[in-house]
Amino acid sequence: MKQFGKILKFELVSYLKNKIFVGITVFLVIAIAVAMFIPNILALFKSDDGTKEPKDLPVMLIYSENKELASLVKQYFTEAFSDYNVLIAEGSMENVKSQIVSGDVECAFEMNSASSYTYYVNNLSMYDANPGTADTVLQEVYRVNAMIGSGMTFEQASDILSVQIENSVISLGKDQMQNFFYTYIMIFALYMVILLYGQMVATNVATEKSSRAMEVLITSAKPTSMMFGKVLASCIAGLIQLIAIFGSALLFYHINKSAWGDNMIIESIFNIPVNLFIYLLVFFILGFLIYAFLYGAIGSTASKLEDINTSVMPITFLFIIAFFVVMFSMTSGNIDNTLIKVCSYIPFTSPMAMFTRICMSSVAWYEIAISIVILIGSTVGVGFVSAKIYRVGVLLYGTPPKMNSIIKAVWKA
Amino acid sequence: MLLELKNIEKSFGDKQVLKGVSFAAKSGKAFGLLGRNGAGKTTSIRILMNVFPADHGEILIDGKPIDYDRVGFGYLPEERGLYPKKRIIDQLVYFAELKGLNHRTAIKSVDYWLERLGMNEYRDKRLDTLSKGNQQKIQLVTALAHNPQIVILDEPFSGLDPVNAMLLKDVVKEQISQGKIVLFSSHQMSYIEEFCDSIAIINAGKVVLNGDLREIKRNYVRDRLIVNTVNPDRIKLDFGNACTVTEQGSLMIRLASPDDKQTTMKRLVESYDIDEVRVFEPTLNDIFVEYAGEQV
Repeated sequence: MKQFGKILKFELVSYLKNKIFVGITVFLVIAIAVAMFIPNILALFKSDDGTKEPKDLPVMLIYSENKELASLVKQYFTEAFSDYNVLIAEGSMENVKSQIVSGDVECAFEMNSASSYTYYVNNLSMYDANPGTADTVLQEVYRVNAMIGSGMTFEQASDILSVQIENSVISLGKDQMQNFFYTYIMIFALYMVILLYGQMVATNVATEKSSRAMEVLITSAKPTSMMFGKVLASCIAGLIQLIAIFGSALLFYHINKSAWGDNMIIESIFNIPVNLFIYLLVFFILGFLIYAFLYGAIGSTASKLEDINTSVMPITFLFIIAFFVVMFSMTSGNIDNTLIKVCSYIPFTSPMAMFTRICMSSVAWYEIAISIVILIGSTVGVGFVSAKIYRVGVLLYGTPPKMNSIIKAVWKA
Repeated sequence: MLLELKNIEKSFGDKQVLKGVSFAAKSGKAFGLLGRNGAGKTTSIRILMNVFPADHGEILIDGKPIDYDRVGFGYLPEERGLYPKKRIIDQLVYFAELKGLNHRTAIKSVDYWLERLGMNEYRDKRLDTLSKGNQQKIQLVTALAHNPQIVILDEPFSGLDPVNAMLLKDVVKEQISQGKIVLFSSHQMSYIEEFCDSIAIINAGKVVLNGDLREIKRNYVRDRLIVNTVNPDRIKLDFGNACTVTEQGSLMIRLASPDDKQTTMKRLVESYDIDEVRVFEPTLNDIFVEYAGEQV
């Protein structure tokens, strides 16, 4: 137990002193800070825009043979296209076209009638929404006019057209829309962290082996202490990194809260309910540990660092499959399909699958309890088996041993 | 303190690596564990240090089964290596702590040994900035800093320059005089002869020779004579196949039986012009080659 503490401390300090670890964390914190300040930064530029004179705005021309129609359309378009300086064209249509080509005018509407126009623009952008907006405006104008023509007042006509339907949605189970984003982000974070740290644990073990520091270590400490110390240290380092990243995100979000306004996605991410956060933590830690043990065991069977990438492949595949099952179920809309239900009890997939189910559908408490108990049991089991593999593995040099010879050796040990 | 290994057997898979290894080492004495590459030395050492259990046999301290919580081991493995990218003081203190020292004692002890081995200027450097010989001295600290009762040194002198070898000799002598069990494994027989009172030669997983080195030499069959002469040709001719030339240029005459010693010596002195004639005493090297070489 004493040894375990020393190993844990040594490994943890190694992580925290590791320049790459610190570098990545600092970089991500800065990136998140920048992202969180974006609305404020944009607002800074926007306030500049607001002081612009109408003459600085791009010019939109309305051309029509019918002067009355032109002034009516101008009146509505001025309101609808607030970021344009809407003017009535003077002179011929040819004149208007040459103004567009020369760049003095950005675009023009040639009104053939109240319900027909031609849109002129120099380069049609992919995102040009002007014709669409014009359609809506003109439709409304047309309808109002028609209603007035049949004897209504302007107010009556406007009321009918602008009637608002009030609705409210109450989800008695889980609101999948709202939970989708943080489930997505958390599953993705779990995926990234496990792959990254798993690889780090495997490399760490293999480095000790290839530098032969293992020869001294194995005679100084128990393999179980070594394995649990290393894996728990990496888990704590991972949590510290995540807390730094999500904590700074939360901090910067609160600083910029007013600027973000009512952004639903951001809001839903930061308002994760406490019970879900606790589940997240439980599944995260257990999921991390069970994979980190496996990666550590695999690392101990490799003699050279180059061998690691091929050795860890089976685990990485297992993990990627689990990830895709969850992602697929999340986006398919049928979150409670049989596959994900089964996966939510299998230890290697349950951290992601069960957490997703808890977030996005209604799961009975005993289902969660069973899943967690299975996961805890398997994590401890995998931990001890990994420690055995480790003890056998670290003393084997040469080509990585075959799976069945490891199992045999572990069985005997 | 008396350390005994009794009839240790160990197999890896179908391969039996140790087929009943037994030897005993006393405190205040150095013990030499000899054997060719792959003979089973490292496996014996690992079993002794409880890295893995033996299939059969027992390890006793003063007649009782060894208690690993109470007996401290210091080990300098043949395959050297520590953490190349870490500060020397950090890793040495870590290893000392793993062996049970508390933080403050560990720092004190490591600093003492760095000073003793003349390495304190490297205290805060990374290990991979040091030369191979200096890295080896650093590794020696991991074997000694926690003041173990049993010190196991596997090829301790390889890669050291003569000055460092001298320094290490002094350290080893000091450890022996402090009443520790020092277990040597080396292929440099001159060092074994210098330090070790007892030896065991392991060959193909079995101890083929075991005991007090002087007694082993004394009991060696005295059936060979070394002859120095200015005119060897006549002797060679007369003794035929029984006479060979040693590396030093002397003649070696193998006798049919040790009892022929006196008569043959007399005959040599009377018949030929002889500078010197004496009974051949084997070096440890000769003994090793004879026991470990033939029976593989």
